[in-house]
Amino acid sequence: MPRYGMVIDLKRCYGCYACSMACKTANHTPPGVFWARVLMSEVGTYPNAVRQALPVLCMQCDEPSCMEVCPTGATQKRDDGIVIVDQDKCMGCKYCVMACPYGSRYSVDKWESYFPEGLPLSPLEEHQKKAWMEKSGVGVATKCDFCLDRLAEGKLPACVEACPAVARTFGDLDDPNSDISILIKKERGQVLNPEFGNEPKVYYLFPR
Amino acid sequence: MDPKVNGQLQHDWSWLIAVYLFLGGVGGGAYTIAAINSFLGTGLELSTTVGLWIGFPALLIGTLFLIADLGAPSRAILAAMKPGTSWISRGTLIISVFMVLSFVHLVLHQFTDVGATAGGSTLIDIIAIAGIVFAIGTMAYTGILLSASKGIPFWRSGVVPIIFVVSATVTGHFAIMLGVVLNGAVPGTLTALQTMALEAVALVVLEVLAILFFLQAAFRQPDPRESAERILSKSMFVVGYFILGLAMPMILMIVVYFSVVSTSTNGMIAFAAIGAVLGLIGGLILRQAVLICGALPTLNIAGFKFRRIHRPKDPKPGIGLMPPT
Repeated sequence: MPRYGMVIDLKRCYGCYACSMACKTANHTPPGVFWARVLMSEVGTYPNAVRQALPVLCMQCDEPSCMEVCPTGATQKRDDGIVIVDQDKCMGCKYCVMACPYGSRYSVDKWESYFPEGLPLSPLEEHQKKAWMEKSGVGVATKCDFCLDRLAEGKLPACVEACPAVARTFGDLDDPNSDISILIKKERGQVLNPEFGNEPKVYYLFPR
Repeated sequence: MDPKVNGQLQHDWSWLIAVYLFLGGVGGGAYTIAAINSFLGTGLELSTTVGLWIGFPALLIGTLFLIADLGAPSRAILAAMKPGTSWISRGTLIISVFMVLSFVHLVLHQFTDVGATAGGSTLIDIIAIAGIVFAIGTMAYTGILLSASKGIPFWRSGVVPIIFVVSATVTGHFAIMLGVVLNGAVPGTLTALQTMALEAVALVVLEVLAILFFLQAAFRQPDPRESAERILSKSMFVVGYFILGLAMPMILMIVVYFSVVSTSTNGMIAFAAIGAVLGLIGGLILRQAVLICGALPTLNIAGFKFRRIHRPKDPKPGIGLMPPT
């Protein structure tokens, strides 16, 4: 059984938000929900300022604090390491949202259109609403699941496929010959805020 | 990045949770005081009765607020499935046992002869001791629920449960005081109020010390510091909690304590009532302020600090109107 993870090369990422858009398109997330976010930061002062983009998604932690605090057992870790929410068990207490130190969980009170109130839903929106309600639903916790539907079809997660800079690599962390394992080893990949103790499975490469 | 940029605030736990935490605290605090009176046989019959009448209903109503906040209330029955790791499950069990104990205690006290005598009977004593344990557990749980949230650094402090226990005791005490006042002037009311006023002053001093220690500890770390600065910039917290919810009740309680001889009975009762109401409002404001000032942590890598920037949600434009710029 593989143990899925992701490497994001910050040297390649230039903050185009293609991953965010691809995620929204693939998962039909409603307004305000970004399973694949891009944060921007800047250090230094003009003329020596440097700007850096940081793509963030669910880290699919090996020690997920969201799963620990979930009172109903709705949050589970699969054998392949992907953390999922069983929407039929979630009671919508939002404790997992408070417990995720990476801010990667969302709770959607009601499905909303991107367009002004009062307009009839377009066929595309009808499709998006139906797909969202089937996969995630309202009143329950939602999160990135590495595009499980796409993995089942043998495809890569949408954010990985869409990245024009090829900054994202997806694969099996337990396979020492996989691209992801080689990259982490060769370029000393690191996780975000290891002090949280969640043991994330999303690694970052950055200039040294 | 501007170091003063405001991080994304949590917005998923609303005022419904603040009311739940508040009522859980009031119920636990009022019951604890009443049960101690009952167990020790202090003879403060009125405050025991009032405390028992506050404990169970406050918990029941508080639980309804929690359920109202759930996204899928019909699955609330699943809340106790994982007591091994989840504080919500543990809290659900603690509160459930406490609700049963406080209800049985109330029924025995009010409608049977079992607890009629000062000091009660063995059955009442056993229920009182068990009830006190679970009441303290309930009060502490309301704080532990927050302090166990890894995603909100401001809440990640061992002082939070202490503050919530102290505040719960204070608000429970004020709730009993208000109940005694509303019961009208009966023999012994003035003496009881005088004693309770002195106890209230001591408890409020304890709460002030606890909250100052909490804020001082928060200022020593970057992320909690941002939330602490935010909470101190809110007039709701400074005026509503510190001045009206702590200072004013303390002054009024001191007045009540010292003016028992010189002031009219009605004046003393009015002071006690106003002080108690302000103290209760302060307890609610404290919880709401702590909730809404919780911000997500800073993410660090390669010398860069990343924050999700707090932006209030823009209203949707109406049909045919331009979106806000």
